[in-house]
Amino acid sequence: MRKAMKGNVSLIAGSIMVSITFALLILSFIWTPYDPLAVNPEDSFAGVSMRHILGADKIGRDILSQIIVGSRVTLFVAALAVTVAMTLGVSAGILIAVASRRYQSPMIYAVNIALAFPAALLAIILAAVYGASTITAVTAIGLATAAAVAQVTRRTAHGILASDYVLAAHASGASTWRIIRKHVMPNLRASLLIQASAAVSVSVLAESSLSYLGLGTPPPAPSWGRMLAGSQQYLFVNPLLAIWPGIAIVIVVLGFNLVGDGVREVFDPTLRRSDS
Amino acid sequence: MSLLEVRDLTISFGSKKVVDCISFTLEKGARIGLIGESGSGKSMTSLAIMGLLPDTATISGSITFEGQELIGLSDREHSRLRGNRIGMVFQEPLTALNPLMRIGKQIAGPLMIHKGSSLKEGLKKALELCTKVGLPDPDRILRAYPHQLSGGQRQRIGLAIALACEPALLIADEPTTALDVTVQREVLNLINALVDKEGSSLIFVTHDLPVVSAMTENVAVMQLGKIVENASVASLFHEPAHEYSRRLISAARLAEDSFSGKGGQL
Repeated sequence: MRKAMKGNVSLIAGSIMVSITFALLILSFIWTPYDPLAVNPEDSFAGVSMRHILGADKIGRDILSQIIVGSRVTLFVAALAVTVAMTLGVSAGILIAVASRRYQSPMIYAVNIALAFPAALLAIILAAVYGASTITAVTAIGLATAAAVAQVTRRTAHGILASDYVLAAHASGASTWRIIRKHVMPNLRASLLIQASAAVSVSVLAESSLSYLGLGTPPPAPSWGRMLAGSQQYLFVNPLLAIWPGIAIVIVVLGFNLVGDGVREVFDPTLRRSDS
Repeated sequence: MSLLEVRDLTISFGSKKVVDCISFTLEKGARIGLIGESGSGKSMTSLAIMGLLPDTATISGSITFEGQELIGLSDREHSRLRGNRIGMVFQEPLTALNPLMRIGKQIAGPLMIHKGSSLKEGLKKALELCTKVGLPDPDRILRAYPHQLSGGQRQRIGLAIALACEPALLIADEPTTALDVTVQREVLNLINALVDKEGSSLIFVTHDLPVVSAMTENVAVMQLGKIVENASVASLFHEPAHEYSRRLISAARLAEDSFSGKGGQL
């Protein structure tokens, strides 16, 4: 692992940022400076001080405590939405790529239709039917991202299936299933890693915007997106209220992107500096 | 009974016939060269025998291998022959190897598919195969990735994969076209020696007449999807019957003459 890290700036910087987020997640179960939901009128809009390290919001809730606890929603949504998106997207993408010509085009159309359907609209529909919750947000984000993942996976897999080494594998008598496992999947890996890290970023941002619109995690549970939404009306009076959750979101998004980039370098033997 | 019998084989894409009613037979242990310019249908013929034609192709006629009709065979049944009874060496030794898989696993592949070998047994056999195809330091090679080997080494790997299950028929599709001329000779000699030793039959596909004359006793000359001449190498050189064969020979002579300094204006 140390060898993989060496000289890999993206991986080092990304790992630090992701670790910070996970540290917050663990911390949220152990300790927070205050109860994140405790209302404290005399601390309304308290600035940065020893009493409230990151200040307090309008009704005097401690910002640091809310950020710490908010990491739960963010990481939960990211993990679940990315799992949904990658599982559905990758299997659909590969299935379409290996399907016979006759079934291919209707499936490609289906993916394109899904792709044209915005996550927010899906979230509104789901929220209207089932009531806004973290789960409806995850489902909406996961499905919308899955279509994009399927699209990219299909194209990449298509290129791999047309390659000489897949023809050579066929010539060695390999079954379609073996070719998917031994040839398509490993050669997709770099592309999947980038897609997964991008999907983390997209879903963190999407969760923030859905919460901002009131379509995600319902109050009072703190979420970074809703903290942003809540701070909007005081943006000129108290910009710090928007900056803290903003920084938290940037760290997660940037961290996962950098890790994705760094890990790709580790997995690609042609980019590797030393061998085995 | 012949090992391979191709009868009235026709392959077309839509209304375009790329292979037009060709027939030839190959006895056990015999060798045939398929020679022709690009687009003459020689590669399509070898893919048809392998059952690897793109699914847009329509195929008719008959190909019997070891008494079994190959046309109309299900993909699953055909894949039992591929890499097992019929081995194939490809033109581009770099792109024909999976860039992310170590060489050892790639050689062990056909053994694991057809012989039910474990990975460990497969790798052990791969070590022997590496030595057989004349690769130095096989231990290191098995652990290497394709990009760490030279073109000639990669083509030797391709040969090791094709011969892993001791096939009755080896199809070599322009195996030396992508290699340096000096390496070409070595690889050709190796194919010659191994095919002799294993007693396999050989279909050697090429566009290069001198190469095919070094490899096989019989040559089928293909042009525009048809076999225009099917003769022994000696009689083809001495009395080519078809216009296209004569052109191939004069092109080969021209190259030879310009080497030996007898002139030969291009």
